[in-house]
Amino acid sequence: MNLNILWFILVAVIILGWSVMDGFDYGVGGLLNFIAKNDEEKRYVINAIGPVWDGNQVWLILGGGAVFAAFPLVYASIFSGFYLAMMLVVWLIIFRAVSFEFRSKVESAKWRNFWDADITVTGLGIALLLGVAIANILMGIPLNKEHIDYQSLFSLLNIFGLVGGLISLSMFLMHGSTYLIMKTEGDVQQRARAFAKGFAVAFIIVTLLFLIISPIFAPRLLGNSFGVIGDLVPVIMLIGAIGVILTAGSSSDIKPFAYSIVAIIGAVASLAVGIFPNIVPSSINTKYSLNIYNSASNHLTLLVMLIATIIGLPLVLIYAIYAYKKFGLKVKMDDSSY
Amino acid sequence: MDSTALLLARIQFGMTAFFHFLYPPLTIGLGLLLVITEGIYVFTKDQEYLRVTRFFAKLFAINFVVGVASGIVMEFQFGTNWAQYSSFVGAIFGSPLAIEGLFAFFMESIFVGVMLLGWNRLSAKAHWISTILVAFGSTLSGVWILVANSWMQTPAGYKIGSNGIPKMTNFWHMVFNPYFPSEFTHVIMGAWEYSAFFMAGVAAWFLIKNNKDMVMRKALKVAVIVGVIVACGQIIVGDIGAREVVKYQPTKLAMMEALWHSQKYAPETLFALPNNATESNGPQIGIPGMLSMLSYMNPSAKVMGLNAAIRYINKKDSKLDHTKLTLAMFPPVWIVFWSFHIMMYFGFYFALVMLIALYLLLKDKLFDSPKMLKLLWFSTFLPLIAIELGWFTTEIGRQPFTVYGLLTTVDSVSKNVNVLDLGLSVVMFVLIYITLASFAVYLFKRELKERSQGKDELAGESAKAAN
Repeated sequence: MNLNILWFILVAVIILGWSVMDGFDYGVGGLLNFIAKNDEEKRYVINAIGPVWDGNQVWLILGGGAVFAAFPLVYASIFSGFYLAMMLVVWLIIFRAVSFEFRSKVESAKWRNFWDADITVTGLGIALLLGVAIANILMGIPLNKEHIDYQSLFSLLNIFGLVGGLISLSMFLMHGSTYLIMKTEGDVQQRARAFAKGFAVAFIIVTLLFLIISPIFAPRLLGNSFGVIGDLVPVIMLIGAIGVILTAGSSSDIKPFAYSIVAIIGAVASLAVGIFPNIVPSSINTKYSLNIYNSASNHLTLLVMLIATIIGLPLVLIYAIYAYKKFGLKVKMDDSSY
Repeated sequence: MDSTALLLARIQFGMTAFFHFLYPPLTIGLGLLLVITEGIYVFTKDQEYLRVTRFFAKLFAINFVVGVASGIVMEFQFGTNWAQYSSFVGAIFGSPLAIEGLFAFFMESIFVGVMLLGWNRLSAKAHWISTILVAFGSTLSGVWILVANSWMQTPAGYKIGSNGIPKMTNFWHMVFNPYFPSEFTHVIMGAWEYSAFFMAGVAAWFLIKNNKDMVMRKALKVAVIVGVIVACGQIIVGDIGAREVVKYQPTKLAMMEALWHSQKYAPETLFALPNNATESNGPQIGIPGMLSMLSYMNPSAKVMGLNAAIRYINKKDSKLDHTKLTLAMFPPVWIVFWSFHIMMYFGFYFALVMLIALYLLLKDKLFDSPKMLKLLWFSTFLPLIAIELGWFTTEIGRQPFTVYGLLTTVDSVSKNVNVLDLGLSVVMFVLIYITLASFAVYLFKRELKERSQGKDELAGESAKAAN
């Protein structure tokens, strides 16, 4: 295995880390106004992610940095090509990042309603846009000879992109619901169980729809580099979601979340398998596509970054485990909570 | 390249970086001060130091989230707006950003949750360690961001590959590029300086209302002791940094000092009205020989003027394919000159203020001197202005390059982002940043007001509504 393949896998692992760790933050945010009935419940729900959302968000920063360093041409082409979509995501993230702290500072109902709406909208928006962007990449974007894409924001909003957006939206909402099953008790937990089931069903439906229309919009997915085994990877998504449906109503608080992680692993693995060895296929000419070789940094950069990752990622896991342990499995409010 | 699009991209980058840079210095510096105040509490069990820590941690939290929110765009916009730059130097420039995320930002962001929401869940010592990790993580974050920035000033550890694109040849040479040690020290000390003034200013505000406020007396004491050390040290560090500019960035130095033509006994110009069109300064006041002295420890040494520096860079980079530099490509010299000089004058002012404050503190008169307290309150945010001016100096002074001597700004911008999209994003950022800053100021004032009305520092964010 060479460094380029290894870095392709590492970027997929970082995307997975982000989807699993930050995905439930967006899901919980998106659910806020629907799952919590009053301020007390809303604070309860927010504090399920309160102490950890900021650390989770760093996965996104890490992902950006890793792509920048390992595959600079991908970073440059995608980010400039998806200009307004990227800006939209940035604005949503900005307003999400300040919301929890700002909300807690003032007790007026008006102030809090504003931030509740903000938390819900930003959570839903980011979850949706992620899938739209990824589906478009899978379909191929009009990269020219210089690997530059001149399309507009609106060309991203095609049927395939929207179905992809619904996958990530339902996936993060399912993930957020199962996270709340794990972190909460009582009424909120009961509602989370119902939501988890509903979003898992929705996730299965849109995933199947996506697979059915793929041959029309992204025929390359049929000819993936791994043959029949590759074709079967999306089944992991369905297994995870079915697991969520079967366990959401059970007495287990942790199993639905574990199955939701399985579904996300399936989604990221499907994406990686479907696109390898390309990273950004060109819809103009396959020769203009960016792949793991023509977009990558030189050997030394990849090596240095690999060493950094091998040392750094275990540290991140240690910090995260410490933080999650300190705040316990179930949310307990005290006077330092949001 | 469309010049309007380039201008808008530059406005957007300048604005977003300016706005972002308003916040991290306080995160870094106040982090250190909280480590000190909480440390005193842990070792002496003096409750008043706990109160100082708890109160300033609330202000820290407001500042921190705006810093995080505004920082996200910084990492994305190299790709969105500066795609040519990203493809050209990503193999080198991207690595410090990724390493920053992995080694610094994770530590800072995970433990900031533990620190701000974990007061009742951790032992005093364990909590203090969390605070230390937040401060350490944010400082380490500064390290890697400044590795990236200083590399743009004095690129090192690379060679131009066969495809014309630089590739990394030595990671540690890239990290410890010539400019890094002095730039890092100067910026981190700027962060500490601002934070000392911030804590001093806020404490002074409370003491003006009630000088028997024992908690704020302690805050002011810590702030003044830290402040005087940092403010005096900064003058020396700034001088060392400027000498690095002499060595590596002659065009920047010439603009900082408004020196048009090379000369012996070059003056340290204190006042001038530099004019690019006439290549002269109009009325000017200077100390003869002082710039030569500061640059080379020799009053008769010849210092390169802007015109000679441009010729020098053109000759030095003759093998590289960036366009030949002309004076017309350079920014107005007065911007760099005045940014640098006002920052420098502020630096002396800060040292003076802190020295007077220390004198009064030692004489036991500081808390009874409303004039001095007012001066401190008035000075709360002045170091922030100095920090931004320093950043203007180093970034505008680097123009017309993004990577000094290697890549020009014109050749860095995204080709595929049009004026309409850019115009829209610039307007949105203006609106968003005004909104965020207003919220931050509102919440900051609210915390001050609530405490002055008797709110207990040890009570949490929403004590009344807690379950």
